[in-house]
Amino acid sequence: MTAPDATSAAHDAAGPLLASAASATMPAPATEPAILLERVSRWYGNVVAVNDISFALAPGITGLLGPNGAGKTTLLHMLAGLLRPSSGRIRVAGQSAWRNPDVYRSIGLVPEREAVHSFLTGREFATLAARLQQLPDPAAAAARVIRTVDLEAAADRQIGTYSKGMRQRAKIAAALVHDPAILLLDEPFNGMDPRQRLHMMDLLRSMAAAGRTILFSSHILEEVERLADGVLVIVAGRLAAAGDFREIRRLMTDRPHTFLVRSSDDRRLAAAFMAEPAVFGTELRENRLTVRVAEFAGFTRAVARVARDASVTLYEVAPTDDSLESVFAYLVSRR
Amino acid sequence: MTTFATIAGVTMRALLGRRRTLLMVLLAGTPVLLGLLVRANDAELDNIGPTIDGFVVRIVLPVVALVFGTAALGSELDDGTAIHILTKPIGRSTIVAAKIAVAGTLTAGLVVPSTVVAGFLLGGFDADNVGVTFAFALANLVGSFLYVAIFLVLSVVTSRGLIIGLAYSLIWEGLLSGLLPGTQIFSVREYIGGIAEALAPGAVADSIIGAGGFLYAAFALLIAVVLGSVRLATYEIRGTD
Repeated sequence: MTAPDATSAAHDAAGPLLASAASATMPAPATEPAILLERVSRWYGNVVAVNDISFALAPGITGLLGPNGAGKTTLLHMLAGLLRPSSGRIRVAGQSAWRNPDVYRSIGLVPEREAVHSFLTGREFATLAARLQQLPDPAAAAARVIRTVDLEAAADRQIGTYSKGMRQRAKIAAALVHDPAILLLDEPFNGMDPRQRLHMMDLLRSMAAAGRTILFSSHILEEVERLADGVLVIVAGRLAAAGDFREIRRLMTDRPHTFLVRSSDDRRLAAAFMAEPAVFGTELRENRLTVRVAEFAGFTRAVARVARDASVTLYEVAPTDDSLESVFAYLVSRR
Repeated sequence: MTTFATIAGVTMRALLGRRRTLLMVLLAGTPVLLGLLVRANDAELDNIGPTIDGFVVRIVLPVVALVFGTAALGSELDDGTAIHILTKPIGRSTIVAAKIAVAGTLTAGLVVPSTVVAGFLLGGFDADNVGVTFAFALANLVGSFLYVAIFLVLSVVTSRGLIIGLAYSLIWEGLLSGLLPGTQIFSVREYIGGIAEALAPGAVADSIIGAGGFLYAAFALLIAVVLGSVRLATYEIRGTD
């Protein structure tokens, strides 16, 4: 599935993604989506950080996936009204986000930067957020979110003494204190241990089930896979794919792969591999065998059998292009 | 508790909780030290005006205001903590006004008592000297809030607010206003001198602004709050990704 294909997948899926880049001309939903971007770009001088992105999000969890430097934070900051789009239109909770402080009644933002007033305790930090949201009972609201993020034991310690994961939970508590309809999280699981990560994922799932719209960024495929219903893949500022995560994941897995193989007889093994339908090329260079395969799973099932039948001993089989960046590059090249 | 008071409270804790406060206390204490030295020599000044003007108004007040004014909001914008206040449904003018109120109060809280104590130590308790001392105390009170407001706006406009504020104080007020008297119309120092002169004639004999200092100061403060609010409303946080 390419990015344009992902558009149709997005429409078919029951996930939160309503439309993607190629479908900006589709008829708008009857009610305005929680988050709407129309041909949004943002550049700094000659550098384009976000390039002509359109999508709409309804309640549910959407992962914003992309390598470091892809433009995820810029996009989230524009959604949170902290950056003005250079072109295009952004609507959040039915309002413009730029120069509109009232929109923060509907938005909770968890920024990536760790900067927090370190002299405040976790409880004071949450209470500060509740007071600035002008809630009727700030102390009770703060106590509720401190409990929600499982920070009660450390709530009365200064944030300056917190671990990275605890700071992250304190920021999430402050973002949740007014029970926002829309939650924007920038790399929210950074620094959390596995137990905290699972707890936070459960929390976000329950919020999504209660009708909240949640958009979180990550550069870790597995995080998005475990949590998100829909996914937006952003590469070099462009929307590379959008839609149902399973479709995109299948695309990522089934793309052509390259393996490096070391064996007791690389030449004989190369000849044997060429008889396999999953393999479409081999190369022997500097005592290294490179195998290009059409389908990841098919090759991994066949490799041991082929080596055994050819009476060759396998020393090493390693994929060479399994990084997220290579996956993204492939998705972009398909557009 | 209002949002103004909430922001003021957290700003006060942020400004007081650091080593710079101790340094500012020491700086504000230097006029008192000067007064004690004069007293230790059994001396007394006939006219304390030039000494207070030259030392407190020209050096101590702008430096203390520069430090607190740029730290109140500019430091939070630089280190990223401001995002937790900016992403709340609060008018930007409330944020700017609260920050100016706190930084101005801290500056005045150090400089005004220092002015009063130093004035009495330097000139004694005769009626003329008491008048001049309180005239400078009031003028420095006004100047504290005005300097802070200007430096705070600078810190929102540019990340080099501290350097530009220092240049304003040293070059514009210190050098240009002497060479080009017309530039005094944009000098906080001259407003302070004008207010002191209006309250106690002879305090700053060469003031060309006089009682107009009140008006200029009020107008400049208003402009600073409006400019700071507008600039903060369009402030953009640069993404790291």
